[in-house]
Amino acid sequence: MDAAFTYAPLIALFPLASFVIALAFGKYLPTRGALPGIVATGASLLVSVWVAAAVWQGHVHHEVLYTWIAGEDVVSLEFGILLDPLSALMLVVVSLISFLVHVFSLGYMNAEGETGLPRYYAELGLFSFSMLAFVYADNLLMAFIFFELVGVCSYLLIGFWFRDGAPASAQKKAFLVTRFGDYFFLIGVVGILATFGTTTFVGSEGFPQLAEAAIAGGETFWGIDASQWVTLLGLLVLGGVIGKSAQFPLHTWLPDAMEGPTTVSALIHAATMVAAGVYLVARMFGFYAVSPTALAIIAFVGAFTALFAATMGVVKDDIKQVLAYSTISQYGYMMLGLGVGGYVAAVFHLMNHAFFKALLFLGAGSVIVAMHHKQNMWEMGGLKEHLPVTYWTFLAGSLALAGIVPFSGFWSKDEVLFEALLLGAEAPIFIAAYAMALAAVFLTGFYTFRMVALTFHGEARTDDAATPHGVGWSIKFPLVVLGVLATVAGLINMKPVAVVADLDILYLETWLDAGFETTAYGTYTTLVTEVAGFSYADIGPLLPAIIALVLAVAGAALGYRTYAVAEPTEPVKRLGGAYDLVRANYYQDEFQVWLAEGFTARLARAADSFDQIVIDGTVNGISTVSLRAGSRVRRLQRGIVTNYAALMAASIVALLLLFAVYGGWF
Amino acid sequence: MAAPMEAYLLLSAALFCVGLFGVLTRRNALMFLISVELMLNAANINLVAFSLYHGNLTGQTFALFVIALAAAEVAIGLGIIMVLNRQYDDVDVTRAATMRW
Amino acid sequence: MLIEAMLLVTLVGALVVFASPNRYAGRLAFAISLLPLGISLWLYHRFEAVGNIFLGGDPAFETRAIWIDLQPYAIEWWVGVDGISLPLLVLATILATLAIVSAWTPIDERESQFYGLILILETGLIGVFVALDFILWFVFWEVVLIPMYLLIGIWGGPRRKYAAIKFFVYTNVASLAMFIGFVAIVFGLGDAVATFGMPEITAALHDGQLGALAGLDAATLKLAAFLAIFAGFAVKVPMVPVHTWLPDAHVEAPSPVSVLLAGVLLKMGTYALLRFNFTMFDDVAQQLAVPIAILAVISVIYGAMLALAQSDLKRIVAYSSISSMGYVILGLVAYTTYGVGGATFQMISHGLISGLMFMVVGVIYNQTHTRMVGDMAGLADRMPVVVGVFVAGAFAYMGLPLMSGFAAEFMIFYGAFESTVVPSAPLVTAVAMFGIVIVAGYLLWAMQQSLFGPFRLETDEPLGRAPIQDIAPLFVLLALIILLGVDPDIFVTMIQDAADPVAALGGDT
Repeated sequence: MDAAFTYAPLIALFPLASFVIALAFGKYLPTRGALPGIVATGASLLVSVWVAAAVWQGHVHHEVLYTWIAGEDVVSLEFGILLDPLSALMLVVVSLISFLVHVFSLGYMNAEGETGLPRYYAELGLFSFSMLAFVYADNLLMAFIFFELVGVCSYLLIGFWFRDGAPASAQKKAFLVTRFGDYFFLIGVVGILATFGTTTFVGSEGFPQLAEAAIAGGETFWGIDASQWVTLLGLLVLGGVIGKSAQFPLHTWLPDAMEGPTTVSALIHAATMVAAGVYLVARMFGFYAVSPTALAIIAFVGAFTALFAATMGVVKDDIKQVLAYSTISQYGYMMLGLGVGGYVAAVFHLMNHAFFKALLFLGAGSVIVAMHHKQNMWEMGGLKEHLPVTYWTFLAGSLALAGIVPFSGFWSKDEVLFEALLLGAEAPIFIAAYAMALAAVFLTGFYTFRMVALTFHGEARTDDAATPHGVGWSIKFPLVVLGVLATVAGLINMKPVAVVADLDILYLETWLDAGFETTAYGTYTTLVTEVAGFSYADIGPLLPAIIALVLAVAGAALGYRTYAVAEPTEPVKRLGGAYDLVRANYYQDEFQVWLAEGFTARLARAADSFDQIVIDGTVNGISTVSLRAGSRVRRLQRGIVTNYAALMAASIVALLLLFAVYGGWF
Repeated sequence: MAAPMEAYLLLSAALFCVGLFGVLTRRNALMFLISVELMLNAANINLVAFSLYHGNLTGQTFALFVIALAAAEVAIGLGIIMVLNRQYDDVDVTRAATMRW
Repeated sequence: MLIEAMLLVTLVGALVVFASPNRYAGRLAFAISLLPLGISLWLYHRFEAVGNIFLGGDPAFETRAIWIDLQPYAIEWWVGVDGISLPLLVLATILATLAIVSAWTPIDERESQFYGLILILETGLIGVFVALDFILWFVFWEVVLIPMYLLIGIWGGPRRKYAAIKFFVYTNVASLAMFIGFVAIVFGLGDAVATFGMPEITAALHDGQLGALAGLDAATLKLAAFLAIFAGFAVKVPMVPVHTWLPDAHVEAPSPVSVLLAGVLLKMGTYALLRFNFTMFDDVAQQLAVPIAILAVISVIYGAMLALAQSDLKRIVAYSSISSMGYVILGLVAYTTYGVGGATFQMISHGLISGLMFMVVGVIYNQTHTRMVGDMAGLADRMPVVVGVFVAGAFAYMGLPLMSGFAAEFMIFYGAFESTVVPSAPLVTAVAMFGIVIVAGYLLWAMQQSLFGPFRLETDEPLGRAPIQDIAPLFVLLALIILLGVDPDIFVTMIQDAADPVAALGGDT
């Protein structure tokens, strides 16, 4: 075993230690807990890189570390660690972003004199711990456990400024909506455990393998055909994914989650909470790969969300809101990629998105600091001159988000679209998904450059924008690191170039094809084509790439031209009713509030009335009847001794007569 | 020749009825108490009579017990009557009705 | 003799506390309650797996002697524990000690009587979990009621008399039904079995020795007795629709009493159901699996819906107890190792978590003098530590992983899902699991309304710092909840040892 793997559990345990330290001693530390957090996540990053290097050399690792509940004659529930190319890649990404967010927090939180910093750093540490442990979880139960912890941490962090009403409401919504998804996920976990007797991801005893074997063997579970049962379980788990990765219809919590500190948003959107959902699908892709129905549903949920969220991103005024909708949209792409069997494309986009979205959020954070905590883009303008580092890095991130060559987002988004097209050419229904995703490319370009133009170009529209506050090194350093990554990360898997020039430069694909055989890309491809029955057309990658690029550039150019002027107006408003509809987020929030307050709360009150009136009424009724009856009967006791004596005498006579009659004395 | 059994029983029944009549009709607590004593003694006559009839002494023993009991009862009864008298200035049993309900 | 020592020190301690001056009663009761706590931990330490004592296991720490000899029946002093009763014993002693400490602040009149009654209550609770002779067990069962009645009726809130009488009459009528049902079984077994020893009765019932009684044939008698006993215990659990005494009792009881009421008294009901209905009468329980499972699911969902409609923090926790106890029933009726084991673990877990929630609501009440959600907001600003514990406790209630509630609920869900006794088990389980969404709904709502947002307090109380004796028990409970969540095997190993034989009755090994 490679030495790196011995130390791998520490990747998650370092941030746990920083959580404990910040919680217990944060008050007394000079940076209120930032330093332990930075050191811990930095150490995690180093170990992660070490692990990745070991994986690069072809080693993989799967070990059970801890028995949670030991069953003597039944299944034991265990925690283990799984280090393969996918988890190693994700560990590096998560620990890197977590580290950068900690550094950025020095400038964003400490320098701004926030109170409650020990709590902030403790929660951040716990957040990183949960996500890292989730990433290297070797079974679905452990994944669920840390998935939930990630949810709780984001609850705590979104509500960091709990003294205001809005964060308190947003945190509740975030947890409740994701909990609704997790309900289905938990049924899925229990179902998988009960069906296969294991929740392990890899190996011949892993549940994806057992599912494949069950389908091949034509088994039935609870009277349901194995393939349908697997589809059902897969869709149940997908419920959790839709909740966490903010896919339609459980996406509503994510824009509200902007109430948390911007650093937290960066972490949630790029590397932790939201990424967890898509990562989970990638992690157990072998399970989905055997079910064409589940794959198709993933693809359509993803494609629809990509387009749907992009339309809402177009009309937002708050810089963080635009980014929030872009996140929803981008995760839609990843889901689409997974749904059409483009495992590498989706993981590639997951990685790139982590870099450029963290960059954009931290950039937005920098802008917000500079703007004295104003977030409305219409109050900004012309910040390019004052914040050069922020501007150039933000621009790199925006180009990546919009999908402009050669920035990272282009390569991965193009690959997702390409995979969808290949499948769609053979199975026409997927063309619809492809078309939705393609339309979203245009909108992405448009809203991204609308945001860039409104924020940085034109002229300052308020005093705050004219005299921005400077930002320190702790803000600039993370931006630069991420800016470089957002620019170059795409070079590791340039599919159009590789195919056209016939070069062996698909490094990520090679990377993901190594490791355990059951979780290798090649195995997944075989499963998707042979078990799920997907077939792919043979189309060259160049033309689709050009189509996507043209749309992205067109959108970006339109956005830039419309808004990068001295006095920008809002032309989208001319759409009238459609504008209002989109602006109100398609009344999704109203619907969910109605569901919670209009329906559920009313039902609860009805149940309460029923309980009080019918059930407790019966109980009290019985007692009232007894009391009434008692008070009637006691009227016999008139308090006059003679009456008692008469009653006694009469009773005795009556009794005697009774005996006499029935005893046959007469 | 001793009197027949029926005679004792009739005497006892008659005495009991006299006592019962007293209890049911009188309002004076003293008369009440006396009537109760009559009923007890009716029972005593029965006990002694049966004792004689069966030829064992258990009945007579019980009669002695009842006499002792009656003495104790009279003591308590008189006590109660004294209290009644102190409270209401007479010994009418129907007046002491505050403890009902 | 350790069990006798435990009962004796608690009972004698109660008398000593009754005689002590009010000023010292609280401290003295705490010191005395450490003795049974220490003994129960010692028992835990020395315990070795014995199987299920109702199903042929040899009771650990057993004592058996004739107490009252009534030929042919003898009432015995027969005590002993196994892997199901020992964790509950530990739970009872821990919660009693902590409840005593948490009473130091709110109880300021007739202290010696209060703490004396708490110790008598503890004696009864210990007895219920250790007694193996039915009459002896029944004596302890009833002993629990009287101090609880007095504790609610004397130190309770404005409607304490109504609540106390409702509690007493409800549970006493239930005891009566249960007693009649059980005694019918004892007589139905006839002179050949002639015993009140519950393990022996179980063995005889499993042997099919039950005869006819009073014109009822054996099967009908068994069914009737099962129903009477089930109804009796269902009140204690409580299951819908016989639950309405619980919210009233909780709301009126002082918080330390609520801690014991929710933490341990409710577990008497589920413990008894497990021992009687699901172990002795396992065949009837399996025949009736469908209605029992439906009742369990209704308890879970309906209890949670009721909690959603409340605005008194104590009522919220009280109704959600109904919901949580529904899971226990679901786990029991599943007849799988994880189902029965999870149900038992849920008894422990819910005891700790609901104890914590009632305690923390009590601490808030001590300072604010209100429990209504609408009367306060933004408490996190003024009482950060207490609110932190509240949030942690609420998440434990919602089944946050790595806290004991998740381990217990997950075991129950898994056990219920793969049950072969309950038809369509996956569907039933899935419906019951929806409770975890509703519980999140009302607890998050309550937290948002009362803990977060801008500070506001309608009662205009000067908010003081909660004293250390209020805070310390909270942290002890929280630590235990996390410890059991991270390492459930602390109890689950011994629970499964005793739960396996029960699960085996349902065909699951």
